Amino acid sequence: MALWLILPLVPLAIWSVAHGWRFPALLPETWSMKAWAYALSPTSGVLQSLGVTTLIAAAATVLAALLAVPAGRALALYRFRGKGIVVLLLLAPAILPGITVALGLHGIFLQLGLTGTIPGVVLAHLIPALPYMTLVMATVFARFDTDAEDQARSLGARPWQVFVHVTLPAIQPGLLTGAFFAFLISWSQYLLTLSIGGGKVQTLPLVLFSFATSGRNDLTGAVAMIYILPGLLALALTARHLTGRSLALGPESVR
Amino acid sequence: MLRSLAALLLMSTAALADTADGEALKAMTWDQIVEEARGGTVNWFMWGGADTINRYVSDHVGGVLKRDYDITLNRVGIADAADVVNMVLTEKEAGVADAGAVDLIWINGENFRSMKQADLAFCGYTDLLPNNALVNWDNPAIANDFGVPVDGCEVPWNTVQFAFAHDSAVVTEPPRDMGALLAWIKANPGQFTYPAPPDFTGSVFVRHVFYHAAGGADALLGPFDQAKFDAAAAKTWAILNEIEPFLWREGQTYPNTIAQLNELFANGEVAFTFNYDPSQFGLAVQAGTYPETTRSFGMTDGTIGNTNYTLIPFNSPNKAAAMVVQNLLLSGEEQLEKAKPEVWGASPAIDIARTSAEVQDGFAAIEGHPSVVSADELAKAALPELQADWLTAIEAGWQAQVGN
Repeated sequence: MALWLILPLVPLAIWSVAHGWRFPALLPETWSMKAWAYALSPTSGVLQSLGVTTLIAAAATVLAALLAVPAGRALALYRFRGKGIVVLLLLAPAILPGITVALGLHGIFLQLGLTGTIPGVVLAHLIPALPYMTLVMATVFARFDTDAEDQARSLGARPWQVFVHVTLPAIQPGLLTGAFFAFLISWSQYLLTLSIGGGKVQTLPLVLFSFATSGRNDLTGAVAMIYILPGLLALALTARHLTGRSLALGPESVR
Repeated sequence: MLRSLAALLLMSTAALADTADGEALKAMTWDQIVEEARGGTVNWFMWGGADTINRYVSDHVGGVLKRDYDITLNRVGIADAADVVNMVLTEKEAGVADAGAVDLIWINGENFRSMKQADLAFCGYTDLLPNNALVNWDNPAIANDFGVPVDGCEVPWNTVQFAFAHDSAVVTEPPRDMGALLAWIKANPGQFTYPAPPDFTGSVFVRHVFYHAAGGADALLGPFDQAKFDAAAAKTWAILNEIEPFLWREGQTYPNTIAQLNELFANGEVAFTFNYDPSQFGLAVQAGTYPETTRSFGMTDGTIGNTNYTLIPFNSPNKAAAMVVQNLLLSGEEQLEKAKPEVWGASPAIDIARTSAEVQDGFAAIEGHPSVVSADELAKAALPELQADWLTAIEAGWQAQVGN
């Protein structure tokens, strides 16, 4: 399993230190750190972009979680008029072609004066990230037993105590899964960032894409190695919570 | 509430950079414009796929701008200039007339035509740039961008002329005219292909075949002519369909982009690649992508040349600073710097005879990259570019008649 995850990354890693690697050679003619020197130089702006991308993805994830937990709960546990339409609207950004969403949003954000700013890009990323996060939370809450909250409340817990000690531990694995999705969706946005960020917000996909489309495998390799780092890190941090263990309340998760 | 907040934000950006009003700038002297430009930032959107070009722009040009003019250059690397054209268009539709995100674009061809047609370009100011005097505007290849008159809406940066590349260790004697190339393709099955139009480079290869079929470019110049087109097109499609079974993968499929053809060439799957900008071959050898034995050549019956430009959008809030950048790029010193093969190897867009003696000596001293055919050599047989309507018709015809 781990091998299948790592295997596609091996050529990227080799490319990043290759100078001249052509078919049918199994390994590059010569090795070179030139691509890394460029990727880490201030000219390329890769390190700065790494910071910007991390900040945006983290902010979009936190906002998505704040919105998706109540929204997912409402969708799963309550019946209300127009629920179908709400679900459809939530899913719309995931169904519509990305370019349509980007062009429409660009016009609206321009009128709001949000283009070219990091908060604007965070808000824009929220739109593709939110459907996934909300649907994950809705699935989690569909299997959530509200009796546990009632019991805590009847034992005198305040609303925030109920949330922190009862609800949160129960939904935590699902919350992390959803947050992981939201993070990666924000992390990989290209068109939305280009149009809403107006070039002033330079994220890694923007840097990566211009090298990838011009056939510079060495630079693409080096930037890609940097690009996948946070994803791997987030995966490593959340992996033990993503094992698909029961989401229902059990003795070990109350602690 | 949101509206007033937005108005506040827009006002604050407008207050920071005050040179959105192009008409006011046109009434100024150059010294006044340079003074207005001080402290400004230029967001320059340009193709970002070559580290050498990125370094030249960010480090060298950016350094000079900071030192001499207190201007901050923000190079925004993009994959396709068409994305930027769409951005500016959306801004115009949303009513952003003086606070656009883009101050300068590296552009030519169809993207320029789109911007000019939609009134997205700042025009009529180029005479103000002192270094504009170095440009030979009497040269139709400079005064027209793919047949569209420039009309003071953009400033030339580089000239390029199409050339082929081959690995001299594999093909020792490459074919030197279009007829010989077509014969070579049939004699060496599977060794040649071209990117499917409307890829920029694939499209220009097809135009070379089109010129060959029409018996030269002279009859095709000027506005689109359906009768001339039909006659030449029928022969062109016949030639291209005839060679199709001899192409890479028997012509069942074509590369989608020039990058894919370059990759096939780098790996020795095909014997030739080609480019509108031969300096790219030298850059690819320096990057280790192509073998050291790569050489490039033109055709004795000529190859097509064009010019690429920089353009200021109508709603740039930093027009003064962007004009200073354009003026700097046109200077003899900068045109010389980027002509050095280790920097970029790009051919100048100015008339070198009009530059200082030092700059002329500098150009004379340049030793070209061995993989890059010299501009002088190519210029011996140069073909003009057709007007945009021809291009669209040829691309559509190829898709219907050859690439189906």
